[in-house]
Amino acid sequence: MNNKSLGFRVFAYVFLSLLAILNIVPLFWMVVNSFKTEQEYARNPFSFPETLQFSNYAEAWKIANMNVYFLNSLLVTFAALIITVLLGALSSYFLSRFQFKLRGLTYGLFLLGMLVPIHATLIPIFLIMQKLGFLDTHLALILPYTAFHLSLTIIILEGFMRGFPKDLEESGVMDGAGIYRIFWSIILPITRPAMATVIILNFIYNWNEYLFALVLVSSSDLKTLPLGLANFVGIETANLTLQMSALTMALIPIIIFYLLLQKQLVTGMTAGAVKG
Amino acid sequence: MHTLRGAKLAIFIGLLPALIIYLGIAIVPIGLSIYYSLMDWSGIGAMEFIGFRNYSRILTDDIFWLSVKNNVIIMITGLVGQIPLGLLLALLLNRGLKGSGFFRTVGFMPVVISSVMVSLIWGMIYNTEYGMLNNLLGVFGLESWQQNWLGDYRFSMLSISIAYIWQNCGLYMVIFLAALQNIPGEVNEAAELDGATGLKRTLYITIPMIRSTLMVGIVYSISNSFRVFDLIQILTGGGPAHQSEVMTIYMYNGAFMNMRFGYGSAVSVLILLFSLVVISLINRLGREKDA
Repeated sequence: MNNKSLGFRVFAYVFLSLLAILNIVPLFWMVVNSFKTEQEYARNPFSFPETLQFSNYAEAWKIANMNVYFLNSLLVTFAALIITVLLGALSSYFLSRFQFKLRGLTYGLFLLGMLVPIHATLIPIFLIMQKLGFLDTHLALILPYTAFHLSLTIIILEGFMRGFPKDLEESGVMDGAGIYRIFWSIILPITRPAMATVIILNFIYNWNEYLFALVLVSSSDLKTLPLGLANFVGIETANLTLQMSALTMALIPIIIFYLLLQKQLVTGMTAGAVKG
Repeated sequence: MHTLRGAKLAIFIGLLPALIIYLGIAIVPIGLSIYYSLMDWSGIGAMEFIGFRNYSRILTDDIFWLSVKNNVIIMITGLVGQIPLGLLLALLLNRGLKGSGFFRTVGFMPVVISSVMVSLIWGMIYNTEYGMLNNLLGVFGLESWQQNWLGDYRFSMLSISIAYIWQNCGLYMVIFLAALQNIPGEVNEAAELDGATGLKRTLYITIPMIRSTLMVGIVYSISNSFRVFDLIQILTGGGPAHQSEVMTIYMYNGAFMNMRFGYGSAVSVLILLFSLVVISLINRLGREKDA
C-alpha cells in the first residue's frame, strides 16, 4: 500500500467524508427543521420547509427568554475572562520575571489546579457562596470561573513571558519606571499573541459552562445560555421546532466564532487538554 | 533580575488577588470536601461527626456500584472509541490530501459546541417518536430497529457513548495531528530507504514516534471520563431507574436533590480518589513500557 496510492486515497476520502457527514448532518437537520411548522415536521422530518417559518425564531426568542440568557452569559463570561486574564497575566509576570523565595511553591500551587476536577469542590463552593450571600448572583459564577481557569491561563502566559530576553526590562528600569509600569507598558504589549490564546480559551470555557451554573444559580433572570436552554427544552418538550429554533440561535454565533478564530481555538484547546 | 526597592511588596500585592480567589475556591474546597465527608449534614442545622459511615454507606449501595460500572463504560468508550478514531483521522489528515483543512475544521467543530448543546441536539436525534434516528430507520424500512434509545435500559448507555465519541473525538484528532506534524521528515525518508512504507511504516515507525502524545491523550481521556456530567444529566438524567447514572450524577443527586451534603462530599472524594488511582496506574504502565 503506497502512501498516495489510489486505494489509500479512496479509503481516506470515504472515511473522512463519512465523519464530515456525521458531524454536519445533525446540525444541518436541526437548522432546516427549525424553519418548519410543528405539523410539517411531524409529517416529514427530512423535507425542506415549504415556507421559512421565521416566526419560530421570534417565538422561541420570547418564550425561552433568550435575550436574558444571552446577556447573562455575556456578562458572566466577560467579567470572569477579564479578571482571569488580568490577574493571571500579573501573576505570570511575577512568576516568570522575578526571583523570590516562594516562587516555586506558588507556581506549583497553580499547576495543581490542572488536576482538580470541579466535582470535588462543588459542594464546598456551593456552601461558601451560600455563606458569603453570593448564591444566585452573577458573582457566584464569576468567582469559580476565574478560580478554575487561572491555572491554565498562568501556565500559558508564564511560559510565554519566560521566553523574553533577560534584559528586556532594563531600559524601563533605567527610565525609572516602577514594577507595575514595566508590566503594563513593556511586558503586556509583547505578550499579545499568548493573551489572544488565553482570552479565546477563557471565553469558550466560560460560555459553555453548565455544572456551576446549575448548582449556583436558580432564579431564571440569572441563568446563562446553557442552563436556560436546558431548562427550556425540558419544559417545551412538545414543541420540537421551537426547541430547534432556540438551539440554532445559540449555535450560530459559536460556529461563526469558531470559523473566524479556528487556529487559535484549536491550538488553545489542544494546549488546554495536553497541559491538563 | 529586578533590584528595585520594594519589589517584595509589589510581588506580594501582585500575586495576592489571584492566590486568594484560586486557593479559596479551587483548592481549599478539596480539604473541605474531605472534612464534610465525615459528617452527617443537610446543609442547615448542626453537623454531626459520623466518621467513615458515609463511605461505608456508599460502598454498600448497589446504585453507587452501578454508577461506577457506567463510569467504566464511559472510560472504555473513550479508550476504544475516541482515541483510535482520533488517531486514524489524524493519520489520514497527515498525508497532505486535498481538502484536509476542511475535514479538520469539520472534525473539530463538536469540540467547540457546549456539551449542553451537544446533549440537546442528540436528545432530538434519539427522540423516540420524532427523532432523526428512528425516522431515518423508518425511511429505510427498518421499523423493527426503532428503539426508545434513551429510555430503554438496554440502549441508554450505548446511545450516550455514541454522543460522547461524537463530542470529543475531534479533540484527539488535532492533538495527534499536531504530534504527527512534528515528526521530522528525515525519519520518514530513512524509513522509506529501509523499505518501510504504507501501513508498515505507520505501525512500526509513525505511531511509536508519537507514543508520548498518545499517552497524554489516554490520560486526558481517562480523567475526562470521570468528569462526565452534562451529557448524561441532560440526555437521560441518569435514568431509566439509575441505569445510566455515573458517579458525578450520583454525587449531584445525593447532595443537591436529597440535601445530604456529607454523603455527597464523600462521593466526590471517592471520585477524586478513583481518578487519581487509575491515572497513576496508567502513568506507571506507560513508563514501564518506556524502560
